[in-house]
Amino acid sequence: MAEVQLINLTKRFGRRVLAVDHIHLTVKDREFLVLLGPSGCGKTTTLRMIAGLEEVSEGTILIDGEDVTYLPPRARNVSMVFQNYAVWPHMTVYENIAYPLRLKKVPRDEIDRRVKEVAELTKIAELLDRYPSQLSGGQQQRVALARAIAVKPKVFLMDEPLSNLDAKLRVHMRTELKAIHHQTQATTIFVTHDQSEAMSMADRIVVMREGRIEQVGTPEEVYEKSANMFVASFIGLPPTNFFYTEVRRENDALKLVHPYFTLTLSPEQAARLKDYTKSRLVLGVRPENLLLTTEDQALFSVEAMVVEPQGSHQIIAFQMDDQIVKIVAPAYPKVWPGERIHVTFRPERIRFFDPETQQAVGDEA
Amino acid sequence: MMDPKIQYRLRKAARQMLLYLVVLTITLVIMTPVYFITVLSFLTTREAYEYPLPLYPTFTIRMKMERGKRGYLLSVWDRNEQAYVSVLDTDDADKMRVYMETYLGLKPSNEQVTEVMQKVDATGGQPVYFAWRRHILSNYATFFRVTRDAVPALIRSLQIAALTIAISLSIGGAAGYAFARYRFYGKNALKFSVLFVRMFPGVAIAIPMVIILARIGLYDRPAGLSLLYSVGVIGMTVWITASIFMAIPVSLEEAAMVFGATRLQAFLRITLPLAFPGLAAAAMYAFIGAWNETVAAIILTEFNPTFSVVVYQTLLGATGQVNLTAAGGMAMALPAVVFTFFIRRYIHQMWGGVTV
Repeated sequence: MAEVQLINLTKRFGRRVLAVDHIHLTVKDREFLVLLGPSGCGKTTTLRMIAGLEEVSEGTILIDGEDVTYLPPRARNVSMVFQNYAVWPHMTVYENIAYPLRLKKVPRDEIDRRVKEVAELTKIAELLDRYPSQLSGGQQQRVALARAIAVKPKVFLMDEPLSNLDAKLRVHMRTELKAIHHQTQATTIFVTHDQSEAMSMADRIVVMREGRIEQVGTPEEVYEKSANMFVASFIGLPPTNFFYTEVRRENDALKLVHPYFTLTLSPEQAARLKDYTKSRLVLGVRPENLLLTTEDQALFSVEAMVVEPQGSHQIIAFQMDDQIVKIVAPAYPKVWPGERIHVTFRPERIRFFDPETQQAVGDEA
Repeated sequence: MMDPKIQYRLRKAARQMLLYLVVLTITLVIMTPVYFITVLSFLTTREAYEYPLPLYPTFTIRMKMERGKRGYLLSVWDRNEQAYVSVLDTDDADKMRVYMETYLGLKPSNEQVTEVMQKVDATGGQPVYFAWRRHILSNYATFFRVTRDAVPALIRSLQIAALTIAISLSIGGAAGYAFARYRFYGKNALKFSVLFVRMFPGVAIAIPMVIILARIGLYDRPAGLSLLYSVGVIGMTVWITASIFMAIPVSLEEAAMVFGATRLQAFLRITLPLAFPGLAAAAMYAFIGAWNETVAAIILTEFNPTFSVVVYQTLLGATGQVNLTAAGGMAMALPAVVFTFFIRRYIHQMWGGVTV
């Protein structure tokens, strides 16, 4: 298995479009790394450059220390699972898995052994004689996966492999993919735009936007310690609520003034923000860190606009001027639209952002 | 008041009837010329010039012979008149035999004719009725006999068609692949311009081509004609193959390349087999285009005509006989029909039988 290093990797389409903008990234051996970002952020282009399907404009790709930047795809010893599966429709499942091995001149009995082994692993052993058109989407996905595993690559590349499956199967396949990863221990780079997919599968998440890496970290890190407002709003559902506030410094105390409330920060929080000298500050509060409370303990009181019951919890939306704020609250007590609710923050989970740079401020070093 | 359920059913039946009627009419319109050329190709020359044209051929000719003014009077049963119509009065057996051969599709020997004449003599001038069978394919046999060129022309036409398929498919297919897979400057303009040549009538292109082909020494040669046909056919081939290649996801090829294939291997092993139905359709267009073309072939051939030219020539001059031309036309249609049936399977696939 292998380590993948991207050094200063850049992709230009024509003169104007900069799809991938000088990124640096090291994928550790045996790691399950997820490239996450909205469409057009360059995550797929990055993956395709690693596969060798896209020409590199600038920079270097190292696999296990070997420079593969200008090698054709077949010489890189990677395998790929495509968004539309890309199983070959004129070959049976068996041939689909065996063809790459035949290309690699694996002996015949070894091919047979490996095909059966991966078919067992991906639970398609009874489908080997079928053609892809006779399979469901989920089964085709497994064939694509089996084909990718059979060649024993250094690196697995997966380009939104679950996005064509229906919601239920998608969640199921996450678990299976993760289990297979545990078994094969192959370095995997997985591209998705679905943050919950990324959160549930990744060892580390790389959040990308407009060709740049916004943050690299474990799912907990990118969720709890989002590096900037983009990451904070992209990760998590519903996203982080932002409150634009005025900073008031009174003696040692730090007060954040919002049209609806004034929040006095704790001495520790104030101490962390002592180097912050700008007059405006953005408060980032995740929906589950907005708490329903009694009127006397409330920071502010508003009228609930929409309530979405989710079974295990409910999502309450209310309006603050023209901004919609969402709360994830326990399922009970039930809140009705139009009801007056009393809201406070879980103080230790508040994050601060600089409204100009959008970067997080006041983190512990 | 009628029961609404019955009313609904009646209306549905009426709609269905109307649909069948429309389908039937269309089929009839399409099939009528085919039917007539088929019948015509089996008619005797005498029948072929009758009006109205018989709806089916007869293979047994009923005749009557009696004593005439000049010798023996031959009458033939006429289906329209429902009577024997006198056609020839002669005492020359050879002349009568030639008439039977030319107009009635029969092949009697002089002896047979003389035998009937003797019977007339024996009965003392009483009419002798007799019926002779003629061969089903007599027109076809005559066509190939009287047009000395037919067989070599048939071979030439096959050569031309095969060469046209080869040229248009290799060039047009490659262009189609490029149009489907690559982005380049002026792609749409180029794609449109390949159709442009089809907008000119064949004659307009054929006349300057006489000079060009004569200069490169391909005038009156199969290769020259197939070059000309390819020019016209390639436009269609490009469009057909481009759309078929576009329908094959690039990721299938990319997957092959990731898993160890070269670009060429990926094309040969993955894309080409999947594109086969489209290529077959393009081949059919090329074949039919080259096989049926006559106008340019008339202009561009002199001593080595194609089969379509030979068929056309049977219409010309005093010896022209429409039933022989029809037989030639049928003989010409046969390879095209066989070829189409042969690749029908793949065309079915392209029309949605199998999705890629």
